Amino acid sequence: MTTSAARIPPTPAPTSPTGIAPEPRPPLEELADLSIMIGGQGGDGTLTVSDLLARYFRRQGLYIYTSRNVLSRIRGGHADASIRASRDPIYAEKNQVEVLLAFDREAVEIGQAELRSDGIIVYDSSVVRDPVANGFGFPFATLVGGAIGQPIYKNTAAFGALSVLLGFDAQAPNQVIEGRFARRGAELLDKNRRALELGRKAALDAGVTPRWTVAAGTAHDLVLTNANQCVALGFVVGGGRFFAGYPITPATEIMEYLTRYLPPFHGVVRQAEDELAAINMVIGAAYAGVRAMTSTSGPGLSLMTEGIGHAGAAELPVVVVDCARVGPSTGQPTRHEQSDLSHLANLGHGEYPRFIIAPGTPEDAFVLTIDALNLAERWRLPVLLLLDQALCQNTATSPRLSLNGIHLDRGKRLTAESVAALSEYRSYAFTDDGVSPFAPPGTPGVYGTVTGNEHDEWGHVSVQVANRRKMMAKRMGKMERAGDELPKGRIYADGPTAEIGFIGFGSTWGPIREAQRRLAAEHRTSRFYQARTLYPVPTHEIGPFLDSVEVAYVVEHNYTGQFARLLRETMPDRHCKLRSILKYDGHSFRADEIQRAVEGR
Amino acid sequence: MVQSFRAVQPIWCPGCGDFGVLAAVKKAAAELKIPPHELVVVGGIGCSGAIHNFYEVNGMHALHGRLLAQAIGLKLANPRLTVVAAGGDGDGYAIGMGHFMHAFKKNAAILYLVMNNETYGLTKGQASPTSQIGFEGTIEHPFDAVLTALSVPVPNFVARTFSGDPRTMTQTIIEALRFNQAHRGFAFIEDLSPCVTYNDTYKLWREKVLDLSKLPGYDPTDRQKMFELYLAAREQGRIPIGVMHRPKPDQTEASLEAQLLPDGIGPAQAELSIDTNRGAYEKLLANMG
Repeated sequence: MTTSAARIPPTPAPTSPTGIAPEPRPPLEELADLSIMIGGQGGDGTLTVSDLLARYFRRQGLYIYTSRNVLSRIRGGHADASIRASRDPIYAEKNQVEVLLAFDREAVEIGQAELRSDGIIVYDSSVVRDPVANGFGFPFATLVGGAIGQPIYKNTAAFGALSVLLGFDAQAPNQVIEGRFARRGAELLDKNRRALELGRKAALDAGVTPRWTVAAGTAHDLVLTNANQCVALGFVVGGGRFFAGYPITPATEIMEYLTRYLPPFHGVVRQAEDELAAINMVIGAAYAGVRAMTSTSGPGLSLMTEGIGHAGAAELPVVVVDCARVGPSTGQPTRHEQSDLSHLANLGHGEYPRFIIAPGTPEDAFVLTIDALNLAERWRLPVLLLLDQALCQNTATSPRLSLNGIHLDRGKRLTAESVAALSEYRSYAFTDDGVSPFAPPGTPGVYGTVTGNEHDEWGHVSVQVANRRKMMAKRMGKMERAGDELPKGRIYADGPTAEIGFIGFGSTWGPIREAQRRLAAEHRTSRFYQARTLYPVPTHEIGPFLDSVEVAYVVEHNYTGQFARLLRETMPDRHCKLRSILKYDGHSFRADEIQRAVEGR
Repeated sequence: MVQSFRAVQPIWCPGCGDFGVLAAVKKAAAELKIPPHELVVVGGIGCSGAIHNFYEVNGMHALHGRLLAQAIGLKLANPRLTVVAAGGDGDGYAIGMGHFMHAFKKNAAILYLVMNNETYGLTKGQASPTSQIGFEGTIEHPFDAVLTALSVPVPNFVARTFSGDPRTMTQTIIEALRFNQAHRGFAFIEDLSPCVTYNDTYKLWREKVLDLSKLPGYDPTDRQKMFELYLAAREQGRIPIGVMHRPKPDQTEASLEAQLLPDGIGPAQAELSIDTNRGAYEKLLANMG
């Protein structure tokens, strides 16, 4: 970090009656990354401010990570959003924010906990009457209300004040406003422009000078997205044509995106009466030979457990997305956790094969959704795509999604032509790999039966002993036989061996990668194995990885160390190398927490 | 000809009402010339739900209570299939009640046949949602699914038949399947199908059934009139049978799958290849935000 106070000289203390500024003011500091939190009541336009900031930082070629906090347990309609901008790729929140923009007293109180010790609070002094320590107070609502007649534009005025504090180029904020509001009509654009200018002028009149800045970067041609959107896009591109779901945080957006994306491709999206219906509608569609998916979170997953087991028994290819949140029961619907893994690995009564795969970034979610659809159809079983709240809903600047290298594997799907060459069609024919060729209803010349009863090759109910043994081996053996076809983990390493090993899945990818950079700066070597197939446990990958590190920290968001337990269970001889770094307070890891845990602090 | 699924001997007790239902479905499909590869029978759990095992067409044996959700998913995925969901009163009105009510609301063009025997036969005769007070000691009131169906303000086809009158049952199923084939909506038929082992009601029901279509003023396009006739029959201790609701021929509302897929090309007919869709996919990805 360098200071460049010389570039912009400090200005004298404020004299304007429109604002209150603290003094003395430290000089401008250039940071590698910057975090801003915006809080207020729902309707204050906190998300608009976050969006305007994101637009500015993206123009500057910076990487962005944004998150929303809906603090449902706190009275009133408090809502806040955070945005982090960086010259390096980021997929995690920072532990502290530099600037807090607060539209009311509650936002000041909640945000203060996130603020670094010399952080600055910009607040609306027409609502927060008493001066706030380390704060710049501006009467945004009354300023805008008086000049424009509608206090609703106070958020744009606040963006104007922030643009001064953060040393934005003078013309850029105006262009950002134009980019966001031009499509909404000349009047709205004009009012926002005036509000921006009111906010800027108030800050300048109060003697606000730039405090923190991030130099322009090279991150261009990226998209700001999250896993929920990328799963929806992956579903369409991966040939998914039927989706049924039931609204549940944090999974709902997948259904909402698909409601927009799927119909032009002759796809169907339905909101079912409950998760029982959603999974069973998906099962019906899968029997029709259509690539079908549902998405849910913990409580819905509990209800779908029955149906997923049925798909396993009936050998029907379904994809179930679990956007994990804090459990058990209703838990904390808007909060982050990774505590469904043990449930997924043991989902349902009886025994049936399933794959659990877990992407680490939005782009990875796109790729693995397509893999999930291919694997489900290739192996004729349920594939569980495990996400988590931070991955689902926080947005990150990501590489553009590409169609390169995507192919659809329809497995042993029969067609009218291939059926004609058969002498007989058995829905559950025994084969070398345990996968039976499948002809969906409507295929001319054949018909067959699928059932959750134990059955013989024809689909007839069977209690015959030899058949039961053979059918169990046919189904359960798929997990072993799939082996190399399952998504491979990724290793991010300083070298072929390292002092510190990390094992993680899902959104911990971001903070672990950042923790690696921090450790490297202290000359500590690390290797990170990002698990992308969680079940069956890829022991063939994790074994050699463990050989390459002195100790491996399994980083996960739950109380009992579920992935670590799964590793210990499947690799009992590796028990002593594994440690857990756990977090289960509803917030995602910050890099420094992982670093401190490794350092024993 | 490819050898496909072979039907097995029904597991039903001799004299079971479900034989009549199976025979009626077969006759109706033959009458309408539905080829076996385009017909799917979705079975529930229970004696009646085994029906697909005894019929050489496509079969989907669903979970207990979930057959309607599976059948509707199937129909929406391939709107060109004829889908007959068939199960018992416990399956449909107890564990499946939520899906039952929503099937009327969804209005997908499938036929739902409930074989009502007022007991759980396969688990040996417990009281079901339609059991009369006193049966197996039950003190709860029986549920009337047809009366409930009549109350849903959606242009569905609603009827009750009796296994003791197979000819009328066949005609009713034919009408229901035609209603489905025209993508007009959901068809629900409750068949009174006695369990000869645990609740033999043949004689009682033969005395109590009352064909509302024989009554003056019968008009199944008029819900209010049908409620009056239905409730009057109930008050006399009779069991109303016949078509209870039949939308007017000039009804314009189409079934769910026809509204979702107006060109008749469904998910099962959709083109999936990346190359065919490349232009549209690239546009989608370019505009993602």
